[in-house]
Amino acid sequence: MATTTPNYGWPVPTSTDLVKDGATAIEALGDAIDATVFGLPVAGLTLIKTQTIGTAVSSVNVTSAFSATYDNYLITVAGGVGSASGLLQLQMGATVTGYYYQYIYSLWNNSILVDAFTTGTKWLYMGGHNASGLTMHCQVLSPNLAKPTRVTALSSGSLTSDVGSTNGLLNNSTQYTDFTITPASGTLTGGTIRVYGYKN
Amino acid sequence: MATTTAKPNIQIDDLVRPMTTEEHTAYKAEQTAMAARQAEAEAKAAERESALAKLAALGLTEQEIAAL
Repeated sequence: MATTTPNYGWPVPTSTDLVKDGATAIEALGDAIDATVFGLPVAGLTLIKTQTIGTAVSSVNVTSAFSATYDNYLITVAGGVGSASGLLQLQMGATVTGYYYQYIYSLWNNSILVDAFTTGTKWLYMGGHNASGLTMHCQVLSPNLAKPTRVTALSSGSLTSDVGSTNGLLNNSTQYTDFTITPASGTLTGGTIRVYGYKN
Repeated sequence: MATTTAKPNIQIDDLVRPMTTEEHTAYKAEQTAMAARQAEAEAKAAERESALAKLAALGLTEQEIAAL
């Protein structure tokens, strides 16, 4: 007598079922699996690349991060240590001109400050680093499309000195596949960079 | 006192190598510019804090200062 699987309730034969009914049982099982899998939600965020940061490096270039598969991405950095306190910067490909940037922040108090430029060599305040760790949470929009690239990041310059949100624009049509993370001062050791793609 | 000529390492995916001379020159210039920018930002923040303190000394409440 057929029974069912414990989670999805797919029909499966038992050891006492007749062999001659095997094909029918397999068909029923296959149909049930097909119906279940067809209805499963697709993950909205897919881990594309994981890069471990080396020892005492002053920059980390991550290649093959962006492609035509996804329009928008999330970059995170966690763990590790910085040899000094400061902010993490982000550069797209080999582009070193034309970065628009605005950092709205406070010194962990209720006075709001703003830092901005329209002619940068990279985006500043994309994350922070100090002896207690590295942190970055940055969304990158349309880096591989032949469109301007935008970024938004939650940042704290050297973790404890300031905190805020960063907006950035690279007003060109370059289709990027790689990026580089650079500490504003000192070097980085350890920690992990992860790149996720948002499902189109 | 001895000085070191070692150049910082850079990383490209899993490859870690010392900077080239050209990369090191650009790196040093960028570090100098960043330090200046950082000092400027800190000075700006200090000026703002000073201005807020003066406003408070004039008798403005926190709410009035925040409304400016």
